[in-house]
Order: sequence, then structure tokens, then C-alpha cells
Amino acid sequence: MDPRFASQSFLGPDSDVLLDALEVGIVGLCGGGSPVVQLLAHVGVGGFVIADDDIAEERNRNRLIGCTPTDVVAQAPKTEIAERTILAINPHARVTVCRSKWQDAIETLRRCDVIFGCVDSYREREELERFARRFLIPYLDLGMDVFAAPDGYSISGQVVLSSPGTPCLRCFGIVTDERLTREAGQYGKAGSRPQVIWPNGVLASLAVGLFMQLICPWHSKPTMTACCEFDGNRHRVETNRLDHAADIKCNHFAPDEVGDAFYSRVL
Amino acid sequence: MTVIFRARGDLLRMVRDDLHRPHAFAAERVGFLLCRAGQFTDGGLAILAADYDPVRDMDYLDDPRVGAMMGSAAIRRALEHAYNSGKQNIGIFHIHMHNHSGRPGFSHIDLAENKKFVPDFFNAAPAMPHGAIVLSRDEAVGQCWRHRHANPDPINRFVSVAAPLQIWRTE
Repeated sequence: MDPRFASQSFLGPDSDVLLDALEVGIVGLCGGGSPVVQLLAHVGVGGFVIADDDIAEERNRNRLIGCTPTDVVAQAPKTEIAERTILAINPHARVTVCRSKWQDAIETLRRCDVIFGCVDSYREREELERFARRFLIPYLDLGMDVFAAPDGYSISGQVVLSSPGTPCLRCFGIVTDERLTREAGQYGKAGSRPQVIWPNGVLASLAVGLFMQLICPWHSKPTMTACCEFDGNRHRVETNRLDHAADIKCNHFAPDEVGDAFYSRVL
Repeated sequence: MTVIFRARGDLLRMVRDDLHRPHAFAAERVGFLLCRAGQFTDGGLAILAADYDPVRDMDYLDDPRVGAMMGSAAIRRALEHAYNSGKQNIGIFHIHMHNHSGRPGFSHIDLAENKKFVPDFFNAAPAMPHGAIVLSRDEAVGQCWRHRHANPDPINRFVSVAAPLQIWRTE
């Protein structure tokens, strides 16, 4: 085993080889995605597909891991910062950069063994989950919010592990028609949403932990489904939604709805 | 170009259970995985198992020279299944199992037979990739035809989507 990973040898004698051979997609590289990228590079993931069409701005610097004042002045793409972060930790990593909307990179993301979704809107989260299900790719969804509460502000967030055949974001009540409608109604008016680094760090760590137990479990009960909710005011992580939805048979995705619906090679 | 095959772990378990059942005279069982596909930017392929169609007991031929010999009815049934799906985009992958652990391999007879019957699958779904897979108790290898007249590509990577996620590379 590579001495870099001696401290995580309990993950299995071949865990470094397993992790190095993976190709992992991270969609959205700001507050949620940038700590995921950093953690995955540290644990030894070898292949990355990173997708984001945005550039670094001053308002991102409070939470975008690796973002420097120089990046802001240079209007560096967030993909460039993520790639630099990965290669600084693991110079041998294989990084595929998609500086585009993820919807324009689907033919690259299809290769991935696992996808992390760190996007802002419920619409995009639902679309990304649907894409991952069609290609039988386990999907880890991270979402965080800060909203006004009677006694100040409330910080909350959640991580969902959504795998084919298990409860989905709709089953868990994360994506709902009401939320989608409200979001659509606010289109263009949202302005700058409050975002801070520490809840994203918690959520990224939870997501990477779920990913690690899926790839090289260190106990006998790895899971394909999870819904961890972070209460950033009480500093607690709870799994109540999972307790209620774990036995639900998802009817939002049919088992045979896989692959490219319009697949056709040129005859 | 990379070919990745993915199947849900519960589907693969069901396939293994079915292929493991004894038959009155055949030494092995065979079946068909009905698959969809998606292309990668570099022309590589994702093959995605959607369903399994076991060969019925009556559709085996008693041929002691091989582990399992399908009659023409078995192939006809698989083609009908693909054709009648109404979607015209189902790839058919013949599948059988070698009852050992570790990486399996196609026998010479398997390879020769694959070459004979897989091109027929293009009659039902000409635009789809088709192929053949051999499982062991815990791994798999496979061949994938992109065109009727092309040489098959090896399936480079198998993913069983389960917990833990199992990935078998054949490179």
C-alpha cells in the first residue's frame, strides 16, 4: 500500500488501488463541491470529472476552497481552482475538466462511477438525479440553506445518497412539486443567497463518508441509501427522513428506464 | 474505446441464482440480459442492464459436447422480446456462468458460438450494441459488438451497483 494511505489501511489492503481506479463526477464546484473535491483528492480518488461553467468572484471567497484573491482578479474558472486543488494533493490524478453546464457534459459524466451533485436549484438536483439513475450511477446530493427564522437565522442542509432501486429525492421529500413551483416563481429574483463554509464542510464530510462506505466499507453494513439532515443551529445530524422512507419502494423511476432514450448509432 | 457494463446488484444476484439452478440434462444454464446503452464523448459505450430473460427449460438441446446448447427457439424468443418491446432500442447480451470465484473466461467453444449467434441479434435491433457475458461467482468478462460485421470489443469494466459498489476491470 502507498505509504500516503497507511493511516487508512483499515479500509482494506487494496483500497488505495480501488480508489485510484475510480472516476468520480463532481457537479458544482463552489461552496458544496469545492470541499468534496479536496476530501476526495486526500482519500485517494484517482479520476475526476469536474463540471461548472462559472468563474470565481469576490463573493465566493468566503467558501470556495482554494480560491485566492488572484483567482478573483483573474476571473479564474471554478474548474481551474478545483483542478489545481486536486493536482496539488495528488499530482497523478486524472482530471477531466468540463467548463460548461453539466447538461452539456453528460456524455463525459456517464463514465463516472459515482456523481456528487452540489448544485443550487431543486430543478437541477432533480435533473441530475434523473440522469444518474438512467446511467445506474449512485448519486450523492448536497444541499444547504440559510433562511430567516423568528429568532434570527436558521442553517440547515442535507446529504442524500440516491442509488438505483432505492428511495429518491422525491421519496425523501427533498424535491417536491411545491418547492419546484416556488423556485420557478422566484426565477431571476433570488439575488445572492446566503452561504457559509462550515455547514458545507459538514455536508461534504458526510457525503464523502457515505461514498467511502460504498467503495471500501469498513463495517459489515454498507448502505446504498441515506438521508442525513444537518441542523446548523443545534449542530446535529439526524436521519428521521431515512427512518420513515427507507422501506419505500420508489415509484418515481422505473427499473427499465435506463440508458440514453434516444440512443442510436449511425447505421 | 472503453466499454462499461453496469447492472443493479439485485438484478445480477437474480441472474446468478437463475443460472445456478440445475437443469435436467444441461450442465449449465444460459439467459439473456436486455440492455440499453449510452455513448461517451470518445465513442466509448455504457451498456446498462434493464431486465433478464432466462432460457426456458424446454429450449435447451441435449448436446453432451457443451455445457449448454440453446435451441433456435431460445434465440427467437429473445429476439421477439427485443422486437416486441416497442422501443427498438434494446441490446441483447447472452449470459452464462462458470461456477468458480475469480475472473472467468470464455472457452474456445463459447467464443466460436458467440460469433455465430450474436450478429443475429442485430436483426431485431440493428442500431444497438449486442454481446455475450460470462459470469463467475464474483466477477465477469464480456464481448460487445457495435456492428453486425465488426469484431467484438472487450467489455473493459463491469459495475455491480450495490453496497458495496463492485467494479471488475478486465484490462
